[in-house]
Amino acid sequence: MILDCDLLVGRDLDTARRQRPAELADTLREVGIDGGAVASLRALSFHARSGNREAHEAAVAHGWLAVVAVDLRDPLGAEAEILAAREAGIRLVRLAPERQGIPPAAPRVRLLARIATESGATILAEGALPSVAPAFVGLGANVVFLDQHFYDLGEFILLSRDEPGFHASTRLLGAPGAWETLLEHAGVERLVFGVRSGWYEISSVLERFHALGLDDVERALVGHGNLERLAGPR
Amino acid sequence: MIIDVHGHLGPWFFSGNDASTGQDNVRLMDAHGIDVQLVSSVEAVNYDPESGNQALASAIADEPRLLGMLVIDPRELALAERQLESLPSTFVGAKIHTHYARTSPRSGAMADALRLCAAAGLPVLVHTWEAEVVELAETVARVDDVRVIAGHMGGPGWRRSPSAVERTDRLWLEPCWSHAPAGRIRWVLDRVGPERLVFGSDSTLIDPGVTLGAVRAARLDAEEERRVFHANAIEIFGDRVVPGS
Repeated sequence: MILDCDLLVGRDLDTARRQRPAELADTLREVGIDGGAVASLRALSFHARSGNREAHEAAVAHGWLAVVAVDLRDPLGAEAEILAAREAGIRLVRLAPERQGIPPAAPRVRLLARIATESGATILAEGALPSVAPAFVGLGANVVFLDQHFYDLGEFILLSRDEPGFHASTRLLGAPGAWETLLEHAGVERLVFGVRSGWYEISSVLERFHALGLDDVERALVGHGNLERLAGPR
Repeated sequence: MIIDVHGHLGPWFFSGNDASTGQDNVRLMDAHGIDVQLVSSVEAVNYDPESGNQALASAIADEPRLLGMLVIDPRELALAERQLESLPSTFVGAKIHTHYARTSPRSGAMADALRLCAAAGLPVLVHTWEAEVVELAETVARVDDVRVIAGHMGGPGWRRSPSAVERTDRLWLEPCWSHAPAGRIRWVLDRVGPERLVFGSDSTLIDPGVTLGAVRAARLDAEEERRVFHANAIEIFGDRVVPGS
């Protein structure tokens, strides 16, 4: 089984493209991805509550994991969404400071990350590691860095020694040996399959996953097990 | 009489701003003596013009003091053309945002969008920030017949706005901004004349009192007040924006 930790539905402001849940489901089926964790661009761009409802409905309809996306431009609303997610049993919370024009160093990012962590959530974090990781250091947070680039892989590995909850998505780890380096130094539990399917070329990541030579246990952890552990019981 | 050419309808994502319905717009208008407000959909600007424009049409259908501005994303002109074909009569203009639509005022896409608006007979409010106010003026000068209001008149780039209006006689300036540097409105008015400034508030993002206060601080004479608060808007948009029309 393969799950994408970085599914997005809705309209993307950068490209003016739309991806509706049914279209995404078709795309995933065609390439052999079994689902993943879905967040709403409506929630990230415009209106968290209705967007998160949209993501939840898509998750129910297609058997995906629901993600609650928060709007950091509205820290009080973001706190409410995180607490509502806990009540609803949703343990994945997506933070996107740069997308929303909020500096990752803004106090609200760290404070909301702390609230999310204390509520038992895993943070799916957009943004380059050097920019966003300081907001999460020292909180005991579970974080998946969705935009973890191979440029910053060494920094991730150093951080991971002190941060047992830090994980990296596969999407931008495109350098030769990058996955292997991460597995060797941080462990197979730290790598989470992620593509941002439909917005990013799936085959660029999927072919590496198939070609890596993982044994069955490693394959299951990277492909879906790590994400399922972080998402908690359905 | 006050006509506000720069309003929005819908929820904002900032903590503490609970305005989300047409009634919220009207409540703020009443608090500040605004008779008519031209509103664009927050959803259409910040997320999706397809769903947002449609929702706005319903939201203002029963509120005659709110008139619609169709949000156009220059990257989706086919969608805009479809929406223009069935545009409700409650819409009097168009709104284009440069930042959220990732479209420079200098681009061909912006020029095409302005052409579409000109063909439809719709004046356009375009968001401008810093040098964009001058860049927009240059594009307007190249597009026949289009009438454009430079929203925010460049924001922090307001000192460039006189240079912008020199480039075309079909560009007006609209001064709303969350900052109100002392003397800004008078400085601009003295350089561009009252014929080129038209009031807008950015409500419900910004309380109308912010820009109203800044405009009133310029101590307008009677002719300036007539021009800025309603006559220029009527000249740009026509009699449909006259209260009670």
